[in-house]
Amino acid sequence: MNDGIIFEDVSKFYGEILGVNRVNLSIPSGITGLVGPNGSGKTTLMNLMTGLVRPSRGRIQVLGIATDDSENLFRLVGYSTQFDAFPKGLTGFQFIYSYLCLTGTSQQEAERTAWQAIERVNLTDAASRKIAAYSKGMRQRIRLAQALAHNPKVLVLDEPLNGLDPLARSEMIALFRASAAAGCYVIISSHILHEVDVISDQVILLSNGYVVAEGQIQSVRNEIQEHPTQILIRCDRPRDLAAKLFQSEYMIEASIHNDGRGLLLKTRDADRFYLAMNQLALDGIQIESIAPADDDVLSVYEYLIGNEEVVR
Amino acid sequence: MNRLWWTQIKAVIRLELKKTFFAKRGLWIYAVAALPVALFVAYAIVMANHQHQSASIARQSQWALTRQDMLSIKAGMTKEEVIAILGKPPLDLQWTENRRVGPNATEQILREDFHYSDGLDNLYLGLQNGKVQNVMMEDANNFGQDAIMFAGVFQFFFLRLAIFFGCLGIFMNLFRGEVLDKSLHFYFLSPIRREVLMAGKFLAGLLATCTIFVTSEILQTVAFVWTFNPHVRDLYLYHHHGLEQAAIYVGVTVLACIGYGAFFLVAGMFFRNPIIPAAAILIWEGINPFLPAILKQFSVIYYLKSLCPVEIPVSPGTPSLFALLISNADPISPPLAIGGILAVAFIALFVSSVQVRRMEINYTTE
Repeated sequence: MNDGIIFEDVSKFYGEILGVNRVNLSIPSGITGLVGPNGSGKTTLMNLMTGLVRPSRGRIQVLGIATDDSENLFRLVGYSTQFDAFPKGLTGFQFIYSYLCLTGTSQQEAERTAWQAIERVNLTDAASRKIAAYSKGMRQRIRLAQALAHNPKVLVLDEPLNGLDPLARSEMIALFRASAAAGCYVIISSHILHEVDVISDQVILLSNGYVVAEGQIQSVRNEIQEHPTQILIRCDRPRDLAAKLFQSEYMIEASIHNDGRGLLLKTRDADRFYLAMNQLALDGIQIESIAPADDDVLSVYEYLIGNEEVVR
Repeated sequence: MNRLWWTQIKAVIRLELKKTFFAKRGLWIYAVAALPVALFVAYAIVMANHQHQSASIARQSQWALTRQDMLSIKAGMTKEEVIAILGKPPLDLQWTENRRVGPNATEQILREDFHYSDGLDNLYLGLQNGKVQNVMMEDANNFGQDAIMFAGVFQFFFLRLAIFFGCLGIFMNLFRGEVLDKSLHFYFLSPIRREVLMAGKFLAGLLATCTIFVTSEILQTVAFVWTFNPHVRDLYLYHHHGLEQAAIYVGVTVLACIGYGAFFLVAGMFFRNPIIPAAAILIWEGINPFLPAILKQFSVIYYLKSLCPVEIPVSPGTPSLFALLISNADPISPPLAIGGILAVAFIALFVSSVQVRRMEINYTTE
């Protein structure tokens, strides 16, 4: 039975403190970004789907497996946590090797697979050093190697790009994309919104323990009615274009771009606006590009949650 | 048990043994285990020195003495009779004592101490005015008394304190230590049943404690029998159940590690502060002799006491409270004791397995 990652009316309370409340989700394959400010419930949601914490109410299944069945769950799931502690005295290689031995893999096979996982995160040179001597970025990569080591179908990654340099970030993003392309479920939490925007096929927006939106970012944006859609038109005569566009009933606001070669406008119905624009006589105005300006995660996040702790 | 579980248990044991055997915070356990060994080594050194002195005294005798010669000396014999049998004493001490016998009268008493030896046994004689008053024969091969001394150290220090606190240090940290280090998630993120993880950790703890304390027990025995000369040692080991007793002590040590280990494993899951369960279990074990029969069965010491090969006699005049602590008023048969301790351990492990399934990774609230 394989029906994605299902949350059915899940709540988690830590004593009287709310972790997440009444979460109903069905996470499909591909890359799913978990977005929300600190304390919004991202890590709780990840800990719930990996059985590290038990729901106070509701039911969770990962590819048909209950999260309290750790023996079967972690054959399918790899979780790179934010916990920055490791078993004492282990080298990077021993850490991955020991983990693989715990899965029941033979020692010979575990050794081979451990090196493969370490190579995937480009940590081969440091593999024989103690983890205690690793930099933050190296510790992040060895955690990723652990999550990837047994080739899981579901990858749960809590702030996986934290502490990585730009080159390592792009390598890791490529790795996540490759996993998603291979049919894996990759769930990534981040508060760096432009990264989530670039990586994710779909997003889950969290605020104060509640899921405030989920789905593909464009469809989430379209559902936000109270904020008009913004469109940026690059052209040679933005003032003339603005005058013409105000003839359309769908445009409600326009402003000239700072560089004087573009027009930022707001509309309540983007589809009808595009249709109306086709019918306008533009009198030789040279249009370079027309693109939505606020159907990214950052804008959606700001509209739904506000701009607290947004990292561009 | 299926093959996968066993492979996983072995992986857990390998990881845990590294932490248990070479952890700096566990060094005190080695010290506690080494303490009785040091005691018996010190005892062996003192005894060797004593034997050396005995041999020296024997050499200084006018003629070679036998044990029978020394046993023939009785209180009331005159100094001359003693010297006729044993010769002039190699070591003697004389002094006079004034004793008041009336308001203005004192009597002078001549006191003498003689020390003879046949090279093994020692004879101490106290003489007053040329007559033997006290005879004290010190046997080189006093198995009974030495065995009681060994049993006392085993029961009241090694079993109740060294193994008890050693197990506390190792077993309580199996889960609690990882929660404090925030590294328990490493295990919880692997495809391993929590019960299998618990079994692996328990066996690792058991292997560590058994290695430390059985080694200590064997070294204690070696140091203890070292005090006997080779002939006496053979006599003690092969004809006075010495070897059998040593094996039983090793067995009791292993059973103590199982029993206390299971107790402290479960305690480590329920308590953040080890002092509370340690004090509770120590008191519970301490008051065991005063408990009703049904409650006695839920302690470890109750079974261990019944398995100890040498019973410690209660000296006349010992306060009844202490007498109750020393004696085993309600002994049970060895098979029942072994079964009982394994049953108590099984119950504790069952509670642990239920608790480990409920454990969550929530370091921030710890």
